[in-house]
Amino acid sequence: MFLENVKLALSAIRINKMRSFLTMLGMIIGISSVIAITAIGSSIQGVVNQQFESIGRSAVYFYVNWAMVDDYVPSEALISREEIEELKEHFSDELLYADPNVSFSSPVKVGNAEKKIYVNCVGSGYEQFSDVDIIYGRMINENDVEGARARIVLEANSARRLFGTENAVGAKVELTVEEEPVDFTVVGVYREKETIFTQMSTSDDLYGYAPYSLVPSQADYTIYIYAFLAPESNVAETATRIGDWLAQKKGLPEGFYIYESAEEQQGMINDMLGMISVAIGVIAGISLLVGGIGIMNIMLVSVTERTREIGIRKSLGARTGDILLQFLTESMIISALGGILGTMLGVAIAAIGMSVAGVDFVIHPMVILVAVGFSALVGMFFGIYPARRAAKLDPIEALRYE
Amino acid sequence: MEEIIRLTGVSKTYDTGKIQVQALKPLDLLIEQGEYVAIMGSSGSGKSTLMNILGCLDRPTEGSYFLAGENVSGKSDNELSLIRNKRIGFVFQSFNLIPRTSVLKNVELPMIYARLSAKYREERARELLEKVGLGERLDHMPNEISGGQKQRVAIARALANQPPIIFADEPTGNLDSKSSVEIMEIFTKLNREEGTTVVLVTHEPDIAEFADRVLTFRDGCVISDRRKGEVKN
Repeated sequence: MFLENVKLALSAIRINKMRSFLTMLGMIIGISSVIAITAIGSSIQGVVNQQFESIGRSAVYFYVNWAMVDDYVPSEALISREEIEELKEHFSDELLYADPNVSFSSPVKVGNAEKKIYVNCVGSGYEQFSDVDIIYGRMINENDVEGARARIVLEANSARRLFGTENAVGAKVELTVEEEPVDFTVVGVYREKETIFTQMSTSDDLYGYAPYSLVPSQADYTIYIYAFLAPESNVAETATRIGDWLAQKKGLPEGFYIYESAEEQQGMINDMLGMISVAIGVIAGISLLVGGIGIMNIMLVSVTERTREIGIRKSLGARTGDILLQFLTESMIISALGGILGTMLGVAIAAIGMSVAGVDFVIHPMVILVAVGFSALVGMFFGIYPARRAAKLDPIEALRYE
Repeated sequence: MEEIIRLTGVSKTYDTGKIQVQALKPLDLLIEQGEYVAIMGSSGSGKSTLMNILGCLDRPTEGSYFLAGENVSGKSDNELSLIRNKRIGFVFQSFNLIPRTSVLKNVELPMIYARLSAKYREERARELLEKVGLGERLDHMPNEISGGQKQRVAIARALANQPPIIFADEPTGNLDSKSSVEIMEIFTKLNREEGTTVVLVTHEPDIAEFADRVLTFRDGCVISDRRKGEVKN
């Protein structure tokens, strides 16, 4: 009987191809937008998470709470290198890495052209916590930092542009640090992971790492600390404790040093993405509702058109339930077909969009199942009223219907 | 002979809200298995109302209706569907084949509702269509065949579940005289050879002539009940 109903429904859909397609269109648009949005959302989320993974999930950035500063930062608020060392000693279990967050930029000659290089100045062990992928040589080490040696680790592209090869270990490059020319020796080359952000950056700047001790004006007294916490620690709680301990030690009020963590930012971005997904999901839900009403409308037309057929079927022994199921099956199939087409369209839209953006395409198979199941459910819900109307027709009146 | 239809005091009143119309005045009727009955009368005489009640498409306002010894007056809609499916075959004036559905599928329909297997249904439908002389037209659509052929399909469909009784409502009303005779001959053959009870409604005296017994209606009453061989009064 079920098979018969499916056959009947398919032949009814075939007979009214155009009408069935237009009816499905509502479902197609609704489902495809749900699928596309969730797929794009989860793909972007994947990228964001990957991005934060490369920064290091336990990265924390301490800085002065500007709300507690009047005009300029008081000198007692400046943090010395020794104080950073003390901090590391005191929180030796939780604070695995800390540096004074130093960086500089310098003009650099690439062939005949003058380009700009951005150098992030770090302490030793930075690569253990951050996602620096060394392909040649080594990363900045303790000796470099202790001796304030002019060593640089270049990004692979930058190395190729400067020296014509990625393996530039041992080469020398002159950079300007605090208006003084300094000859740097290349000790390593790292590769930047390709992410949506690196692909989007069209600038032709160069990048590298150097020891922070090379820039004493920034490194000896700082108001920023860049740190990595132990991965198992509770970031918010530990970071607050570290900030407060530092403030107390320096005779400053509690809350003077505050922080931002990668984890919190990641959470914020994910929350935002989630909210956008929900908002668009609601809109898509409304379009599903409209699609469902379209199905109900066309099923009512179909029931009216086929009143006589219903009368014939009843006279031949069709029960109320038989007629009900026949029309319910038809509306469910129209709706589920719309759902399947919509899923294919949605996946295609998301896949094309993501490949243009150069992002790994992520879709959960569950989403597809839920989408098709849900569309069949919409078809059932909006098909109930027309189907009941068909099933309740009086056979004599239905047979008389012209 | 075994009785197949017994009506006792059956009447039908239509309540239109303002006025009540008694379409069928209280009627007693007995039809035995294997009879060939024609119901005659002009339109509005109550013959169609009687036909609907006999065919279990409608319920009498009062009285009881026994079909093959079973009181069907108080049955539910679904029980009546089952009775129509198993015990009754319908043939209509306007054929009532389902459009855009092959002749074969149309004949299979009552068997689908009887939950019979697809294999059996197809075999039986072929057999029935061959019997009514349409073995070559199984895959045709109803709009591709003539009126006489449509009515043969309808007869094949009516016979699908081997009902003991066939109700034919003006079966020749839309046919030319040659096809009419052919259709009536099929009914006669069914009645004579297989003992199927045939009840047909008609307003044409020469069609009623095929039957053995003629009931004539006027204004909701039977005004004559005549058997073949009896003298016309």
